[in-house]
Amino acid sequence: MKRFSQLALPYIVWAAMMLVLPMALIAVYSFMEQGNSILSFSFTLDHYVKFFTDKDFLLILWRSLLIAVKTTVICLLLGYPVAYFIARSREKVQNILILCITIPMWINMLVRTYAWIGLLSEGGLIQQFLDLIGLGNTELLYTEGAVLLGMVYNFLPFMILQIQTSLSKMDHSLLEASADLGAGPVQTFWRVTFPLSIPGVINGITLVFLPAVSSFFIPKLLGGGQYFLIGNLIENQFITVGEWNFGSAISMIMAVVMMLLMMAVRKVEIRNQGGKEE
Amino acid sequence: MKKRKRFTGKILMALLIAFFYLPILYMIIFSFNDGKSLTTFEGFSLRWYKHMLESQDIMDALYTTFSVALLATTVSTVVGTIAAIGLSKSRKIVRDVMTQVNNLPMMNPEIVTAIGFMLLFMTFKVDKGYVTMLLAHIAFCIPYVMLSVMPKIRSLDPNLADAAMDLGATPWRALTKVIVPQITPGIISGALIAFTMSVDDFIISYFVTGGGVKNLSIIVYTMSKRVNPSINAVSTLVVVIITIVLVIINVAPMLAAKRKKKDVIGKRRTFIPITAGICVLALIVCMFNLRGGGQDRPFEGQTLYIYNWGEYTGENIIADFEEETGASVVMDNFDSNEQMYIKVAIQEVYDLLVPSDYMIQRLIEEDLLQKLDRSKLDCMDKLSDAVKGLPYDPGNEYSVPYFWGTVGIVYDKTKVDIEDLERDGYNIFLNEKYKGDIYLYDSERDSFMMALKAQGYSMNTENEQEIQEAYEWLVQCVETMDTEIVTDEIIDNMAQGRKALGLIYSGDATYVMAENENMGFFMPESGTNLWSDAMVIPKNAQNPDLAHAFINYASDYAGAYDNSSYVGYTSANEEVMNDLAGEGGDFEGINAYIPRTGNPNDEVFVYNEDTKKIISELWSRVKIAASNAG
Repeated sequence: MKRFSQLALPYIVWAAMMLVLPMALIAVYSFMEQGNSILSFSFTLDHYVKFFTDKDFLLILWRSLLIAVKTTVICLLLGYPVAYFIARSREKVQNILILCITIPMWINMLVRTYAWIGLLSEGGLIQQFLDLIGLGNTELLYTEGAVLLGMVYNFLPFMILQIQTSLSKMDHSLLEASADLGAGPVQTFWRVTFPLSIPGVINGITLVFLPAVSSFFIPKLLGGGQYFLIGNLIENQFITVGEWNFGSAISMIMAVVMMLLMMAVRKVEIRNQGGKEE
Repeated sequence: MKKRKRFTGKILMALLIAFFYLPILYMIIFSFNDGKSLTTFEGFSLRWYKHMLESQDIMDALYTTFSVALLATTVSTVVGTIAAIGLSKSRKIVRDVMTQVNNLPMMNPEIVTAIGFMLLFMTFKVDKGYVTMLLAHIAFCIPYVMLSVMPKIRSLDPNLADAAMDLGATPWRALTKVIVPQITPGIISGALIAFTMSVDDFIISYFVTGGGVKNLSIIVYTMSKRVNPSINAVSTLVVVIITIVLVIINVAPMLAAKRKKKDVIGKRRTFIPITAGICVLALIVCMFNLRGGGQDRPFEGQTLYIYNWGEYTGENIIADFEEETGASVVMDNFDSNEQMYIKVAIQEVYDLLVPSDYMIQRLIEEDLLQKLDRSKLDCMDKLSDAVKGLPYDPGNEYSVPYFWGTVGIVYDKTKVDIEDLERDGYNIFLNEKYKGDIYLYDSERDSFMMALKAQGYSMNTENEQEIQEAYEWLVQCVETMDTEIVTDEIIDNMAQGRKALGLIYSGDATYVMAENENMGFFMPESGTNLWSDAMVIPKNAQNPDLAHAFINYASDYAGAYDNSSYVGYTSANEEVMNDLAGEGGDFEGINAYIPRTGNPNDEVFVYNEDTKKIISELWSRVKIAASNAG
């Protein structure tokens, strides 16, 4: 039986090469003086200093986090009731509804985002509709609203599916027990259903927040050229400016910020579950 | 009470599904649009499907997308399953460490993972292309496969394999006959996730690809600036393929179960639809990959790697060139000189580049170009004198002009008072009358050209004070005028008349004016950038002979005509330029098409490393200021 453990060896080597080494390289480049050859390494903190001493860069980071938080909150508020609805449906209906939600996810994200350009642009369907109800001439494309919409559109399914999974795993007898013990539907929801769905909610938040912070094509396609988020800043450093070391430093900063946030979220989860068991 | 709740739930659900499907439906409808617009439907037509089928780029991208996805899914499913089985029998510490390692691509922002891969391939000098894309896809798919296989293994009885071996099975048989069948559902869902991730991936592919290899996402990302309804046609096709596959996967087991209700439900049942789905995909992939053979032509079987601006060639020139020479052309696109420079500087291999003037000077100075072989060129006499012998390459030793033109202001004659333009010149961009009605162009050198010229300075100034003033002019513009900084979107948006004013290349203005007669093109007296883009051959080119042949072909009447009439930029071929601007030509009466000559304030860009760095830095500050102001 033990000999099966050797099956993992090739993968451990592969993972070290393809998953660990790239991260190590980002770190190395971020501490390296400008220049793209790793052989002439000389240590510097300049790139980090550059980022943290400039309020424009910090503002971009802040705005990226903010729009990701907004996206996550909207996804949660929209996604929870829908997931709840799906989870309470009959099994057949449930499968169909889930299929309905998954099919768009199979279509390329860029393609779906691209479709919104036509819908939102001046003279497009949505503008015409707004005209009809007398709200004409509001600019839609290339605004923060458009970026937010694009993010919610792309990431909402993750939230719904995660919550739905945890809700449908729930033992229904718990609800009956709660009702038998005299709790009303509202009380049952907040005291029983919601706490039990928290793992799903946390997974959903992770799956929405993470891509929302780092997305760079949604802001570029729907926010226009002057809409800069941290992902665009990184892309810019690598693709047009050519300052890889600074770009690596920003990547490191972003990775660390995200790691800290995720750890905080997990902590909330653990505390929550710990509390329940007592 | 309860009923009402269900009802609200249903409405919410219906709205949400409408929200999810609206863009997809919209896209499908507009893929049949006869016109080019994304907003008005002008009648039913299949022209974009035809265009799609004829476009080598799109067909190649479809092939790349699906072949990478199939290969990555197969490899990562097999490797991931084996690794998961192995790990489940490993010591706990190994298992825990590997879980953390696998979390790296899943818990990191995707762009960070992408940059990691990019740096990895650069550091080990692996040529970026199909193989690197495939490797990266395999690497980020395996953790997802393992994630869905692991729980199934954990729920297995740990003694199962031992039991099988006690009964005389070899370890291999125990593995394939006992363990694998038990965890099949996990393997299948892992494979499905891997496939979705791979087909859908953009960010990682974008950073690890090279050599003209593009998947569908990259095509959409690079084409999206100029409206190209073929994207809608491709997307519709993809939607149809994927829906068919999904329906097969989901419906077939139900049907099979219904028909053979009394059969023992074998695990194999689910394999049939999956195999069917994969076969359908494989068939499609093969269809796309069918290429015709050729006969006896000078460059039969050779490949020319071109690195050019996006949307910078005519509709037929590439296919005609391939037909005539027997070579195949791989074209990679950039949208700024800087982007091109980075790839050339890190020694990615191309045979032909089409950079702008100042960038050619820089490439020459840094010894990245090779001298052209005049004995192989027969095109120099056909080109306009005005684009030959320019300061960046005085004897045309390295470059043959492709397109040329100026930079000016495109304006809506119905919204802009021509007197304002004549009086203010570039300073009209600070005129509050046009607040919120302005496009700036996302190009550092041309934005600074405008700002410097607005104040009467030379656009090649090295005086830091003057550059600083230009910077402040631009910041004032983005902060007070509510501008939008765009790239090629300006072309369609101005053609649709969405804003009153914009800074634009003369060639783009030509296209805009040909589409919309209300548009005009104005060049301020204070001067403009007299630019040209030219074909050059990098030092590390692998097929300079073929590159020379292409230079001749693109400079000759037929090729140059196709390029110029399609793109709208002024041809370097004098006869083509005169024919297109002359009576009955495509651009008759459009002042933007013929570049201005004779204004003493007009200049050609000169490359200066120090100023370029300052301007580059300041321009990203302007953009950040614009972003933070909005």
